[in-house]
Amino acid sequence: MQTGSRTRGATPPRRARVPGSGRRREARAGLLFLLPSVVLLFVFVAGPALYAFYLSLFSWNLLNHMHFVGLSNFSGLWDLPLFWTAVGNTVLFAGVVVPTQTLIALGIAALMNQHLPARGFFRLAFFFPAISSSAAISIIFMWIYNKFGILNSMLISLHLYGPNWLANPVYALKAIMIMNIWTTSGYFMVVFLAGLQSIPHELYEAAAIDGAAAWQTFRSITVPLLRPTTFFIVVMGVIGTLQMFDQSFILSQGTGGPLHSTTTIVLLVYQFIFSYGKVGFGAAATVLLFVFTLLATLGINRWLGTATEY
Amino acid sequence: MIQRRRATRWISRGLYLAILTGGALLMFVPFAWSLSTSLKGLSQAMTYPPVWWPHPFQLSNYTKIWHIVPIGQWFINSVLVASAVTAANLIFDSLGGYALARVKFPGKRFWYMGIVAMLMIPFQAVMLPLYIVMKDLGLLNNYGGLIAPVAVSAMGIFLMRQAFLALPSELEDAARIDGAGRFRMFWQLSLPLVTPTLLTLALMIFLASWNNFLLPLLVANRSSLWTLPLGIVMFQQEYFVNWPYLMAAAVLATLPIGMVFLVFQRWFIRGVATTGLK
Repeated sequence: MQTGSRTRGATPPRRARVPGSGRRREARAGLLFLLPSVVLLFVFVAGPALYAFYLSLFSWNLLNHMHFVGLSNFSGLWDLPLFWTAVGNTVLFAGVVVPTQTLIALGIAALMNQHLPARGFFRLAFFFPAISSSAAISIIFMWIYNKFGILNSMLISLHLYGPNWLANPVYALKAIMIMNIWTTSGYFMVVFLAGLQSIPHELYEAAAIDGAAAWQTFRSITVPLLRPTTFFIVVMGVIGTLQMFDQSFILSQGTGGPLHSTTTIVLLVYQFIFSYGKVGFGAAATVLLFVFTLLATLGINRWLGTATEY
Repeated sequence: MIQRRRATRWISRGLYLAILTGGALLMFVPFAWSLSTSLKGLSQAMTYPPVWWPHPFQLSNYTKIWHIVPIGQWFINSVLVASAVTAANLIFDSLGGYALARVKFPGKRFWYMGIVAMLMIPFQAVMLPLYIVMKDLGLLNNYGGLIAPVAVSAMGIFLMRQAFLALPSELEDAARIDGAGRFRMFWQLSLPLVTPTLLTLALMIFLASWNNFLLPLLVANRSSLWTLPLGIVMFQQEYFVNWPYLMAAAVLATLPIGMVFLVFQRWFIRGVATTGLK
């Protein structure tokens, strides 16, 4: 926006060439260039988002006639224990994964920023899981989490006895959390690393002259100056984890089990359409997920969004 | 005093390197384990405690899965869909980004804010209404359904807008005096100057499309339309005991994108860093 006004200011005064028609041609070109994007984004993103609000007021199973039921889908969800299980799983997932992956990403980025050898190699290694497909990774981890798999055999060599990870309702969601942290930490590490490199080097030199310890420098220079990056990473992390679907779907073979322990809100929405034929319930859950995501984003904005003055 | 400080510096650097090496190993082990399993016979894969080194090397897993499931077709579908989605995004995102950065038209701010708002709506969140819209538009069970919903990306428009904003405006002023139309200015003058950003965009979109699981899951019922991620998950649900086959399929799905990443990693990382920081 601020850049937009700058270009406007920088444009030289309009030349005498056919006044008016040039501007109209310009306007037509601009709208024409933007048209395909606007149409596609409306049909496939904004339109469906609005449509969810409309659908949430109807009872429909995709085959029969829709009939208007007001807000009763919402009250129906409210009374449905499975909905609260899904909300609980989703919140727990986001609550564990986001702080953990953010801290790990920050820690690794801070280490990588120390002018150590083989930095390119390390960046590659940590980033690689983030480029692999959720499907391939989920299948690889299903094999790793197998009761007689490599993870449990490694744990046994440490005299620990691992559970049957994915078949045990206490451990299945934890297993997905671990997998998710493993996948995304490297991605956010790259974002942190870019943020770290934008911190002026003089600040560190000044701190070194004052004899500040490494930990002190990290706490009073690095962390506050990284705040915009951290804000972005936490928002992206929260939005991503609140919508978690692929991993739960694949590792539970679409059931959200065992005992609904891996059912997330989005997986429940999927089941509302394809298993239970309750479009209205699914739409109501979608609307609640929007509201919930928006509230979480606003909350983070209040907490981390304000810039630090120096 | 100085010597002591130098010693602690060396110790801490050694410690940092050890932590990073351990972490890198942790990133590497799952891939190595899937590669190792994919080269084993079924009975060796199931021995307990597990062994790391396949004996004998059973490369035939890789050839056998081509006969069991239409993995060749899935591979072709993945390449076709990801290429079409990438091409569409390169055209539409750069046109839209150019308009928002360079062209004056009424309501520009409104459209810009609208597109930024789209960034806040993740694909999974609109799955249900999107499925119904696609059903009504006849986009289920065909290639159109695998491509159209992701043919434009709000993030891509944003990325291209930033790139076009960074170009000096004198360039186009000169072209305008020569009587060049907007499209010519865009196509011949500005677009060639943002090639690095186009490459970054192409890589990010190709990667996202190649790895997309949910869209094919919604759209494609027939196995002839499945892409690799959906195909290997369906394969898993059917052949869930034959881990060497499954790991071979997972390796095959990861290998092409892994190689693209290794060649172009600089641009990938640039993309993550720029979209991450604005």
